[in-house]
Amino acid sequence: MMEIINEYVFSVFFVETLLNGLLYGGVLALLSLGLNLIFGVIDVVWICYAELVMLGMYTIYFMHVRYGIPLIPSSVICVLMVALLGYVLHRIIIAHVLGKAPINQLLATGGVLFFLQSIATLMFGVEFLSLGVSLGSFQLTEDIYLSKSQFVAFIVAAAAVAGMYFFLSRSYMGAAIRAISQDREIMILMGVDANRLYGITSAIGGGLAGLAACLLALQFDVHPFVGISFGPIVFMVCVMGGLGNLVGGFIAAFVFAELIAIGGYFADLEWGTVLAFCVFVITMFIRPEGLFARKS
Amino acid sequence: MAVSRLLKGLAIGAAAIGLMASPASAQDKTIKIGVIYDYSGPLAGGGSELQALGAKTIIDYYNEQGGVEGYKIEAIYADAQSKPDIAINEAVRLIEQEKVDMLLGFYSSAQCVPVSAKVDSLKKFMWITTCISPAVLKDRGLKYVFRPQVHGGMFGELSVEFLHANAKEKFGVDPADLRIAIIHEDGPYGSGVASGNEGKAEALGMKVVLNEGYAATASDLSALVTKLKRARPDVILHTGYNPDITLFFRQAKERGLKFKALIGHGAGYGVVDQLYDALGDDVDYIFNVDPVSIWLLDPKTLKPGLAAMTDMVGQKYLVAKPDTKTKSAHVGMAASNANVFFADVLPRAIKKYGGIDSEALRKAALETDIPVGGTLLGYGVKFPAPGTTNMDGQNAIASPVVMQYVQREVKIAWPKALQTIDPVMPLPKSSPYTK
Repeated sequence: MMEIINEYVFSVFFVETLLNGLLYGGVLALLSLGLNLIFGVIDVVWICYAELVMLGMYTIYFMHVRYGIPLIPSSVICVLMVALLGYVLHRIIIAHVLGKAPINQLLATGGVLFFLQSIATLMFGVEFLSLGVSLGSFQLTEDIYLSKSQFVAFIVAAAAVAGMYFFLSRSYMGAAIRAISQDREIMILMGVDANRLYGITSAIGGGLAGLAACLLALQFDVHPFVGISFGPIVFMVCVMGGLGNLVGGFIAAFVFAELIAIGGYFADLEWGTVLAFCVFVITMFIRPEGLFARKS
Repeated sequence: MAVSRLLKGLAIGAAAIGLMASPASAQDKTIKIGVIYDYSGPLAGGGSELQALGAKTIIDYYNEQGGVEGYKIEAIYADAQSKPDIAINEAVRLIEQEKVDMLLGFYSSAQCVPVSAKVDSLKKFMWITTCISPAVLKDRGLKYVFRPQVHGGMFGELSVEFLHANAKEKFGVDPADLRIAIIHEDGPYGSGVASGNEGKAEALGMKVVLNEGYAATASDLSALVTKLKRARPDVILHTGYNPDITLFFRQAKERGLKFKALIGHGAGYGVVDQLYDALGDDVDYIFNVDPVSIWLLDPKTLKPGLAAMTDMVGQKYLVAKPDTKTKSAHVGMAASNANVFFADVLPRAIKKYGGIDSEALRKAALETDIPVGGTLLGYGVKFPAPGTTNMDGQNAIASPVVMQYVQREVKIAWPKALQTIDPVMPLPKSSPYTK
């Protein structure tokens, strides 16, 4: 028994596994940030959020690979483009289902998901497109490496959460967004233009999707269905952290990612996901509103 | 006089009706074929779209030639969307609503397994061009399902035989001391090939240090890479679709995984352009087990006429995909396997068994006896008599080859008789994965 513990737990590979979990958590945290913000403020779950990320990945691919624009300006264009998409999505679709039954909202955004997947297939084809950029890795010891692209995603996710926190708590616009998320009816009665605030929030959420797209494009090929790999898991991270709770989603992303990494290290890879989903289900029984849900 | 004029008029009228009727009946002689591949979803870019192109090229070719034994081919193309449930629904729709005479195609084994059972229960003929999992036919006794394609067990066995034969010369170790890791997507395709890997390694007394599956849609394979680093394999045998293959290579490189050789087994490994576009020169010296790319075969080894058909398929391929840098084996694979049906099985069903119903097609398929060199892929086709093996409907004399990618070129590394390159093993220093 001690031999097994020594071999598996007190091992550099276990340390690498924990680091892998931490870095993958950064990717999930970044993805969950925008979705959580939008739900927290507008109270609509964008099932199609991962598809916005997919369109962002296509944007950066075309800017950088096809048009030869350097990576940083391409990333800025990508963030702005997806922010605009988020705003347009709100004006065209979401604004019309606000206040409607949640199932109608889910069906509407679900429809957008299939629309975006299909339109991407028609426009860009089914090939897997690659940015062809590798940031390499940090070698910490002979056996432990850290992926630079995942490390950057981790740092950006942490910075984005901090940035959002300060924006929401210190700025006038942030205060307005927090106010409308707390009481939609009263704010309108006080003369606040709710649609404008919702539009701005959607643009910020879209921008965060664009930011995630920039970093994911460094690690993954883009294709019309890339959202399938992330969509469901990001949604669960948000629910586990308490839908609408930015910090809760951030922490839940790391809990989820570590469970997947550790489970996958000690058993077959798929058991990691099984373990994470088991914990998710148990969490839902104990705290249906999520681990870090705000008090209503 | 009036009577004779009347008779003459009737005769002319009858002749006119006859003239009008005869082309109409010729047009009625149509074989309606449901063609199912993935035109959308992750499998489309992973090779299915290229397979669909190969099958369509052959169908169009026979229609341009006037059809087969007086039958025009009416193909109804359906998209399985990379989902087994959609594949089943489309197969049933084509059979029950479109009233197709048979089905052809199928890229994914995860679709083939349920669809073949369904189609067989409906007593419809199914000609599989691509999916390779042994589970599609093994121990199922299907009557109307035929697969000229190599099955996955053969893929898995060949890569291990290749290593066994070359271990001493290339790695300087006894085959029993070579450390092998098997990683695979966990659907019927990956599991089928991995079981061929494992069975052959066990039979040859070779050491498997890790055998693990993963979901092809996984967004992170870093735990798998860490486990491989812990297991320290010399050779990795990998079966995957895409984008899991490129994700694995990226994460392996970023996390410092080293090995002496990596052998892929078809699917995503067959789409050479995408591998090079995503991974650059890191793809160099990677092996792939697949039916041979038809453009690599020496035309002199093939039956007369087949070389021209290979050229025709290549030209149509480049017209449809003008950006192609290296022709993928996928297109030729579906073209060859579809061609076996239209050139050999269908004419026999019509001439010898009087039609295109499932029974006639089945009897004709069972009599297929194409020697080596008789198909675009070079191998022969012969189906076992029902009940004599545990895989009714499986081509018993198909065989894959081991190919190696060197600077965007595809070379044949094994078997020795077909070699166009002396296999480069272990990986040269230029590879980031060199152990």
